[in-house]
Amino acid sequence: MSFKDVLKPFTAWKNLAIEPVSIKKPLERQAAPRYRGFHKNNLEKCIGCGTCEEICQNAAIDMVPLDGIETKEGDSGLRPMIDYGRCCWCALCVDVCTTNSLTMSNHFTWVDTNADNFRFIPGAENKPWDNEELGYKKPENYELNNPYRVEMVEIEPEQRDKSFLEIVKGFSKEQAIKEADRCIECGLCIATCPAHMGIPAYIAAVRNDDMEEGLRVLYETNPLPEICGRVCTHKCESVCAMQHKGDALSIRWLKRYIADQVPAEKYKEILETENIKKNDKKIAIIGAGPAGLSAAYYLALLGYNVKIFEALSGPGGMTRYGIPEYRLPYDQIDKDVDYIKSLGVEFQFNTRIGKDITLDKLHEDFDAVFAGTGLHLGRSTRIDGSNHEKCYQAVDLLRDVADGKSINVEKKIVVIGGGNVAMDIARTLARLQNQKYGKVQLIITSLESEDIMPADLEEIVESREEKIIIEPAWGPKKIKIEDGKIKGLHVIKCLSVFDEEGRFNPKFDENKKEFFEADMVVEAIGQGMDLSYFSEEMQSRLEMTDRHKVKVDNNCQSSIPWLFVGGDIVAGPDVISAIADGHRAARGIDNFLSQK
Amino acid sequence: MKNLIERLKKQFKISEVVFQRDNEIFLTVEKMDAVSMITQLRDLEGFTHLVLLTAVDWLEEGYFQLTYLLNNYEKKTDLGVRVKIDRDKAEMTSIHHLWKTAATYQRELKEMFGIDFPGSPRVDESFILEGWDNIPPYRRDFDTKKYSEETYFPRPGRKTHDPAEYMKKKLYPED
Repeated sequence: MSFKDVLKPFTAWKNLAIEPVSIKKPLERQAAPRYRGFHKNNLEKCIGCGTCEEICQNAAIDMVPLDGIETKEGDSGLRPMIDYGRCCWCALCVDVCTTNSLTMSNHFTWVDTNADNFRFIPGAENKPWDNEELGYKKPENYELNNPYRVEMVEIEPEQRDKSFLEIVKGFSKEQAIKEADRCIECGLCIATCPAHMGIPAYIAAVRNDDMEEGLRVLYETNPLPEICGRVCTHKCESVCAMQHKGDALSIRWLKRYIADQVPAEKYKEILETENIKKNDKKIAIIGAGPAGLSAAYYLALLGYNVKIFEALSGPGGMTRYGIPEYRLPYDQIDKDVDYIKSLGVEFQFNTRIGKDITLDKLHEDFDAVFAGTGLHLGRSTRIDGSNHEKCYQAVDLLRDVADGKSINVEKKIVVIGGGNVAMDIARTLARLQNQKYGKVQLIITSLESEDIMPADLEEIVESREEKIIIEPAWGPKKIKIEDGKIKGLHVIKCLSVFDEEGRFNPKFDENKKEFFEADMVVEAIGQGMDLSYFSEEMQSRLEMTDRHKVKVDNNCQSSIPWLFVGGDIVAGPDVISAIADGHRAARGIDNFLSQK
Repeated sequence: MKNLIERLKKQFKISEVVFQRDNEIFLTVEKMDAVSMITQLRDLEGFTHLVLLTAVDWLEEGYFQLTYLLNNYEKKTDLGVRVKIDRDKAEMTSIHHLWKTAATYQRELKEMFGIDFPGSPRVDESFILEGWDNIPPYRRDFDTKKYSEETYFPRPGRKTHDPAEYMKKKLYPED
C-alpha cells in the first residue's frame, strides 16, 4: 500500500466546505414558472359556461352559485368549484376555458388536516396564489376548438344590386358540420332567445347530420324556421360563449341549414302530425304574421279549429310585407306557412277586422281570439314638407313592393332613419334605381352617429357595397320644395340622441347645416300600431303599459279575458319575440278554455 | 441532415419529412422498413441513443403512430422516426435487441395502448396498471370520465348545476 492510498480517504474532507445541492426547506421551493398548480379564476371574466366541468376527465369540477355573482344574460351566475381529491392537474379546463378566466398558479404545496378544505371555488376564497403571476396559462395561438366561424358565402355586390335574388347562400353540409362542431353546448344562449329554443340540441343534430331530429327540436319552440333561419334578430349570438374566444356560433344560419335540408312533404311524418285529434273549440286569429302563425300552429297541435283573418293578400305579416325578398324569399315564407296550413288552419285574406268584420262578431263566433296585428303604421318626422306626395313611409313602400305594385322610383332619394327598416327600403329602392336608371343615387341619413345606429352592422356594410351613401348624425329640418317638387332635405347636426337618463331627447347644433339633394324622401323612423279595430268600449277596458303597448299576462291574456294579444303590439318589434308570444298565447288559450 | 434524408430515401420508403428545427427532423417510414432503417441509423449514422418510444392513437383514421426518437450524440441532432401501424392489428417488431431499454417502452405501450411487440422481454406483464380490467386507457375510445365516475365515488356533499337549467330557474321559471 502506497502512502497515497493511505491519504486518499481523507480527500473527502474537502467536500465539507461545499454548499450542499439538496434543499434545506423543500416546501419553500418555487416551482417552475409554467408549473400546473392550484387554479386561479377571474370571477368577473368567467361566465359560468361550465365547459371546464364538461371537459374534466376526473369529474373534479362542480358548477355552483356564488354570493355576489348574478345570473344574467350571457352569464349563468355559476362558478367552478374544484375537488382537489380528484384533480389530476392536466389543465384541460384551462385550455378549453372560453373566456380565459381560468388559469393555474405554480403553487403546489398546501398542508391541511381537513380534507374538505381541498374543495373550493378558485378566485372566491382569497388563496395566497390568487394574485400571483406565475403558473400555467393557455399558450397563445393554441385552441382546442376553432374560435372563428365558417364564413358564409354571399352573392357579390355587382351581381346582387340589380335584382332581388337571395344574398346569403346558406351552408353546405360540410360547412354546417364544421360550424356546428364549434358549439360547446353550454346553453347560455337558451335564456336569451325569446322563444328559449333548444339551440345546443339542434346544433348537435347538425353535427350528427340528423336533420329529422334537428327539425323536431326547431318545431318544439318555433314553427317558422325558414323565416327565422334568415331574418331572426339572433340575440342568442350576442351571448354565445365562443365570442369570447373569437366569433359567436352562426346559430341563425345553422337553423336555416336544418330547415333548408328537409323537404316540405316530409314534415308531417317527421313531426308526427299526421293524425291530430280535433276538438270542437274555435279560435280566431287576427293577423297572419309571425305571432298569429305561431299561435295557430300550437293551437292546431292541441286540436283547436283555427281561422286566421288577414287584412293583406298574403301570409307572413312584416316578414313578407316589411322584409325585402333578397333577405327572405317569398317561397321560404310559403314553406313555413303551407305546413301550418296543412294542419287544418284556415286563412281568410283581404279581410280587415274592424272594417269587414267587427271584433264583437269574432267574439260571438269563436271561443277565443288572438290578436297579433303588428306595427304597420309608419311614423312621420312631421317636418315641413313631409306631407308632400313624394314623401313616403318606408312600410308603405315595402308593402307595395311585396304586393308587386310598381313604385315610381326617382333619380335621387333620401331615406331618413338608421334602423333595419331604413336599410331595407334603401336597398330595395337602390335596386329599383339600378334597374330603371342604371345607377344608385341614394342617401340614408340618421339621427344616430354610426356607432349607435340601430341597424345591423352587416346591413350597413352591405348597403355601402351596393353604393348607398350613409350620412349619420344629422337631424331632418325641412324638406325643400320648389314649384311643387321636392328638391332635397335640409338637415342640422345631431350632437346626441339620448339624454343622461337614456331617454330619447336629441340635441342639435343649428349652425352646422347640410343639404341633401333629392326628388323623393322616405321616412323610416319607426312604426306604430293601429288599434282602431277595437270599439271605444273595448279600448276603455283594454289596459295598456306605460310604454303604450297592450298589457298582457305571461300567457298573453289581455285585460279582456277572451282576448289574447301578442307580437309587436306587446313587445318588439322582433320576429322571434312574436313567435314566442304566439306559443305562450296558445298555451294561455288552452288553459283559459279548459277552465271554462 | 438533408444529405442523411437523401441517403435514407434511396433505401427506404420515406414520406412526410418535417424539418422541425435545424437539428431535429421527423419522418414517416413504412412499417416493413422501420427496424432495418433504425438499425442502420444506430450502426452507420451515429444515432446511438434511443431517447424515447411513444405512440399516438389516430382513432378516426384507424391507425397508431409510433415515434422512435433517436439522438446522434456526436452531431447533437435528433431524428424522429414515425411508423403507422394498423389499429385493428396493433403489432410491431420489437427493437429490444438494439437497445435493452426499448423493452420497457414496449411493455408500457402494450399496457397503455394495447400495441404488441412479440418477443420483447416481459411485454405481457403489467407495468403500472396492476389488476387493470378495461381496454388500454390511452386508446382514445377509452372513456376516461366514465371510468373515473364509476371507479371513484364522489365526495359527499358535492352538487353541480347545469348552466341552462339553472338560468331557466333563475330567469324565466314560468315558461
